[in-house]
Amino acid sequence: MILLGVALLLLALLGAPLFTIIGGSALLGFFREGVNLSVVPIDFFGLAETPVLVAIPLFTFAGFLLSEGGAPKRLVNLSQALLGWLPGGLAMISLAGCALFTAFTGASGITIIALGALLYPALTESGYKDKFSLGLITMSGSLGLLFAPSLPLILYGIVAKAPIDDLFLAGIVPGTLMLILLSIYSYWHSRRLVRPARSASGVGLLTALREAKWDLPLPVVVLGGIYSGYFAVSEAAAVTAAYVLIVEMLVLREVAWRALPRIVRESMVLVGAILIILGMSLASTNYMIDAQVPQHLFAYVAHVIKGPNTFLLALLVFLLILGAILDIFSSIVLVVPLILPIAHLYGINPIHLGIVFLAAMELGYLTPPVGLNLFIASHRFERDIAEVYWATLPFLLVLLISVVIIAYVPGLSLLFLS
Amino acid sequence: MTRASQPRWLAHADTLGRWLENLLLSVLLAGLILLAGAQIVLRDAFSIGVSWADGAIRLAVLWLAVLGAVAAARDNKHIAINFADRLLPAPLRRPVRVIVDAFAALVCGLLAWYSWVFVHDSAQGGDVLLNEWPAWIFQVVLPVAFALICYRYALKSLRGLFGGT
Repeated sequence: MILLGVALLLLALLGAPLFTIIGGSALLGFFREGVNLSVVPIDFFGLAETPVLVAIPLFTFAGFLLSEGGAPKRLVNLSQALLGWLPGGLAMISLAGCALFTAFTGASGITIIALGALLYPALTESGYKDKFSLGLITMSGSLGLLFAPSLPLILYGIVAKAPIDDLFLAGIVPGTLMLILLSIYSYWHSRRLVRPARSASGVGLLTALREAKWDLPLPVVVLGGIYSGYFAVSEAAAVTAAYVLIVEMLVLREVAWRALPRIVRESMVLVGAILIILGMSLASTNYMIDAQVPQHLFAYVAHVIKGPNTFLLALLVFLLILGAILDIFSSIVLVVPLILPIAHLYGINPIHLGIVFLAAMELGYLTPPVGLNLFIASHRFERDIAEVYWATLPFLLVLLISVVIIAYVPGLSLLFLS
Repeated sequence: MTRASQPRWLAHADTLGRWLENLLLSVLLAGLILLAGAQIVLRDAFSIGVSWADGAIRLAVLWLAVLGAVAAARDNKHIAINFADRLLPAPLRRPVRVIVDAFAALVCGLLAWYSWVFVHDSAQGGDVLLNEWPAWIFQVVLPVAFALICYRYALKSLRGLFGGT
């Protein structure tokens, strides 16, 4: 049995699709217990009984469609008109713009491709060092994970059975903290740069605003709708998808109808890849609960770790290692069911746990050997992976500081929750 | 492997399969957006609730997920840890891929078979979804999809074994 477990782990490390590893281990586990193996597809079919799930395909599609059109360009223009005059302003624009865009497109690395292509040349032209610009763009691809309506937030809510509206509220302050710390670093880094010649001009701002008039209602309607409680999350997702479809295809006509099936396919491939892992984990989690894995795990952890502070520290170290090996979606569906009951016994609020989890996993995008953003940036900007890694390192350190603060000051996550 | 180097019927099958996947995904997604949108309008403007709408939306999401996973297998976009391609010495990569793809095909084959058992039992037991429809109509996507994914990985494993690049 141990041998088979090691074989599965080895296959995972050698690149077997993770859903086959999770599904395989569930089949193996139930087989050993003598349970009819059709329990695995029955648990998988439980996907069709998960209400909020519909938000995932809808938001993903809307995000992919948005990035095909001119929205990234207009977003950059508008923020440049707003902040371009500040020292370090362009860097801050990049941070804020990428965070907003990532929140909407589900943290799949699409930000680096859609926005990075615009921001990277703009940054280097404005005199920022190449290394700084590369690091900033690479890091920006996962910034915004903590803001509504990011996919990992929704997925955590589904897996932990926590209210997603609360998670959306809880992410605001910690996400902003990350932005502020990174902005301070950018300001400090660029203090000796020649100030950009461009100054704030009313005309430029007005033009940028007019250009973005169809994009601007989106965050207002979606975020306003969700935060005010007018829309449920799945309704906001439906409104977003319908709105983006109408604006891009009928009003602005930026995307050709011919391109639509490809965009549908690309976005649904991502959705399929995430949800098949979620479905398999429904089965494997049921097996682990049957086999009382959480209890055994807790007995072990309680023996080694005393008190919530030590637990949080151990959790952070564990998540940083996990994030370096496993992508965020698989990590959520596999690990959250195991640590949730343990965290509960240490008195950690499940919403706070979710924010800490995602914030720590955000670093995982940037850590070798498998950090997704490193590879996307290396591929997109044709740089050596090691070069990208060193460029990202200072940003990684700033993010690490914010993650520690977020973990040890639960008030930041729970500020807006009663 | 380039298209030119594979048998012509396989290239045709690939084009057709891809086209079918795109069509089904587009139809399902369009249906999902329409249904979810209509539900909001009906509820907010006319206070009408449709009893089967929520269930239908959830089933459409399941179908999208499963068919998206089939498309992901074709595009080689399933989430995996990619140590092997980066860390293994070049001569080892191909044998490792052959083994890993064969394993994926095996698991998907098992999943297809037991999904078939599940659907069969559900049809025998007369399970019902969305008020009146036999449940197996919606569940049958599982064995079909897992069989297709199994075929995809089996094909990849065999290609790795018998040549092609």
